[in-house]
Amino acid sequence: MIDEKILVWKFNRGSKDAFQMLYEKYKDDLLGLAITLLRDRSLAEDVVHDVFVSFAGTTGSFHLSGTLKGYLSTCVANCARDRNRLRSRRDVGLDAAEGMGSDSGDPVEHAIDSEQSGRLTQLLGRVAYEQREVIVLHLHQEMRFKEIAEALGISINTAQSRYRYGLEKLRSIINSMVTK
Amino acid sequence: MKPEKNIEEFVKSEKPHVTTGGAMDERTLGDSFTAMDETIRAGKPSAAGIILRSRAAKLAAAAVVIVTISFFIVYPGPGEKDEIGEVPKVAASPADMQSILSLNIAYRQGGLDAVDRQCQIATEMLGPRPAETTIEKMLMEFNGT
Repeated sequence: MIDEKILVWKFNRGSKDAFQMLYEKYKDDLLGLAITLLRDRSLAEDVVHDVFVSFAGTTGSFHLSGTLKGYLSTCVANCARDRNRLRSRRDVGLDAAEGMGSDSGDPVEHAIDSEQSGRLTQLLGRVAYEQREVIVLHLHQEMRFKEIAEALGISINTAQSRYRYGLEKLRSIINSMVTK
Repeated sequence: MKPEKNIEEFVKSEKPHVTTGGAMDERTLGDSFTAMDETIRAGKPSAAGIILRSRAAKLAAAAVVIVTISFFIVYPGPGEKDEIGEVPKVAASPADMQSILSLNIAYRQGGLDAVDRQCQIATEMLGPRPAETTIEKMLMEFNGT
């Protein structure tokens, strides 16, 4: 945490090394978040790219009130929501899900990663976007409901109810798959 | 299937583990560094901007203002100091004391005009006398008896 504060402090003074270290630290996590939300790897990469470029443009004036992970996750969620609204309503389907997973490493591990990340993404893809957003931010990004509510501009009760209904929907989807 | 309470654990355990590609890293870092350079070139923040953004700078600026105002309130200015330092001289003799007192009373009653008038009368009284005038006669005139 202290290291992160120091890195942010250095970044604010124009250190590109500090920025690169912050990028290396959070890039994979944020890409996973964007993929889960958008179910499209190329779109998710664009979102993460835009968020980091926008973040880089704040050097010298960036003020961190909470955690950097929470801040960047919020940016990714907001950017992903905008992209989700803009893109066509066609179903992304399995084609995009197949493109997920790691780009490098052991092929076996790649296949396992791809299969695991794709499975949850497919399941969450059948949950409403607003509910999926809250579920992922809370369970994967470990953000509190208060933080999520502030980030999304909704009340805490709304965030909690979206989370609850989303999990209920997910459970019913899984149950229906098992009973088939 | 998993009970409801385990759904959260299921979602947590299924968190996707993905890594960015080299091309994406290169593109993102390149564009980010360009954005940083542009921001830095656009101008460094002014002193006022730093004070407004930084909480510590705000507190320091407030402390400087308070100390400055307190200094001017507590520490008297040079003009005020001089006025306080002016102490009336003590008269060396009863005759001088009377003269100072009478001038003071004249000033309070009629201002500088009264003082001037009183001085004029004294000058007339102490004016030139004939050579044959004796000291006793002069003292009688000064004392009014």
